[in-house]
Amino acid sequence: MRLSPLTFLCAAIATLGLAGCSEVGGDVGGDPARQIGANPYLPEPREYLLPPMHIAPAIGWSKGETPSVPQGMQVHALATGLEHPRFVYVLPNGDVLVVEANAPKAPINRPKDIIMGWVQNYAGTHAKGGNRITLLRDIGADGIARTRTVFLDHLNSPFGVALVGHDFYVANTDALIRFPYEDGQTSITAPGTKLTDLPGGPIDHHWTKSLTASSDGTKLYVGVGSNSNIMENGLVAEYERAAIWEVDRATGAHRIFASGTRNPTGLQFEPQTGKLWAIANERDEIGPDLVPDYLTSVRDGGFYGWPYSYYGQHLDPRVKPQRPDLVASAIVPDYALSSHVAPLGFAFYGGTNLPGSYRGGAFVGEHGSWDRNPLNGYKVVFVPFSDGRPSGPAQDVVTGFLDSENRARGRPVGVAVDASGALLIADDLGDTVWRVTATAS
Amino acid sequence: MQNDSLRSVAHVGGHPIHPMLVPFPIACFFGAFVTDLAYWWTDSTQWETFSVWLLSAGMVIAGFAVIAGLIDFIGNKHIRALRPAWFHVLGNAIALILSLINAFVHSRDGYTAVIPTGLILSTLVVLILMFTAWSGWSMVYRHGVGASV
Repeated sequence: MRLSPLTFLCAAIATLGLAGCSEVGGDVGGDPARQIGANPYLPEPREYLLPPMHIAPAIGWSKGETPSVPQGMQVHALATGLEHPRFVYVLPNGDVLVVEANAPKAPINRPKDIIMGWVQNYAGTHAKGGNRITLLRDIGADGIARTRTVFLDHLNSPFGVALVGHDFYVANTDALIRFPYEDGQTSITAPGTKLTDLPGGPIDHHWTKSLTASSDGTKLYVGVGSNSNIMENGLVAEYERAAIWEVDRATGAHRIFASGTRNPTGLQFEPQTGKLWAIANERDEIGPDLVPDYLTSVRDGGFYGWPYSYYGQHLDPRVKPQRPDLVASAIVPDYALSSHVAPLGFAFYGGTNLPGSYRGGAFVGEHGSWDRNPLNGYKVVFVPFSDGRPSGPAQDVVTGFLDSENRARGRPVGVAVDASGALLIADDLGDTVWRVTATAS
Repeated sequence: MQNDSLRSVAHVGGHPIHPMLVPFPIACFFGAFVTDLAYWWTDSTQWETFSVWLLSAGMVIAGFAVIAGLIDFIGNKHIRALRPAWFHVLGNAIALILSLINAFVHSRDGYTAVIPTGLILSTLVVLILMFTAWSGWSMVYRHGVGASV
């Protein structure tokens, strides 16, 4: 070979230039306000060597610190020292249930899973979950619940719960279980009965199972998340996932009520129209402003795009083979919440404690972003409703979960309305349930 | 008895370490090229998972091979005087940088983890390795680096 090393080096540098065609993840997200509402701005998808990431270091709440609420409202800790609280549910007698859980151990499928594990540890999201439900009662003058019992224990990564008559349902990550409940009970010791299996391991990428019951009590709806970001674990792993199940309460039989919802982490019936509404977490790694998470009414038999497309017919370039027939039928969600806010809980407000402008609308708990710079979410927002539909931009209500240096003191998850009309917020980083009320006039 | 002027510096009982280790990353990077082709042909993500593990394993073992090779290259001026040695070092350095980029590309989700950038990089690395393997063999079988006379 008579090639001079210098010539060789020049050819090599040209090759490297070819390889550097992708972004290295320096993309900065735009104004989230452009992505809130019925017609969010959607940029072109991008591919990265290292997707944009920004982790808020987890620091927790200092003594006496609380989140911030608007003038005329106040916030107190209802309970602290919980074990990764994710969901709050109010029983008919006013008792507050707090579901404490975290993800089951995830398998390592690719080297990336190892890195993601370290990232999540840094963000404080790998804390041990209680796998139990705590009952809170008797709020004292300081706002703290004086009675606190273990309502149910030895569960398996539970998330959604619902009471129908005397049947208390818990949606574990891998099964829907029924327990007997008597009014006023502070603890259930009776064994549960499995109503139906739910898609669980061995991957269980999105492990939470949201739950709500129909108003006539005959059906239960379960929100089942996908087993991957965009079906990179294969089609078989996604069987009956990324969907909202309708389970028959009497027999345990189920059908797919709606599909193509990547991770429907909250289900509620809108009080005025009786329609089922859901919040959903959309996909990652195609940009800081893609894809906006959303709040939407759920159509029986509706398909919402995942994984093939988003927001109707916007194709995801990473999914092959495509399904043009499904993409053509994909429904555009009703209301975008902006990208990577991670909505993990929502509740319609019908109480009289908080100011009247909140009546009829929905509070949404936004857990907050990890794959976006600057951060998004980390707050509870309010979406006004009118005639059963969203009627304006989302307003920040409970903030201060991030400090001035963008470190995370807490992260909101589930929200609920208690018997007195106060807003309850589960905070899984602060291990606290917050209670927001109007200040006494 | 080794040819003293071209003796390997990193050796175990006269057996040079670099040529012991070097087949593993070569096999891994070639394997990743094959599994990328298999993914392109089948659209089955299992093959992409194979590729990314082969790339990762290849780079880890290549790290040790590089250390042994650099000890020889830096530690013996007679090896450094050989032209094929420079092609071998520079070519392998470029192959490893491309493989690192390729590992990041393969860590994306879905189709774009391989097509087109991942497959292009895997192909380029295999082509470069054929070239550097030729120069490596040339160092041993024509010039006698590390070989006993």
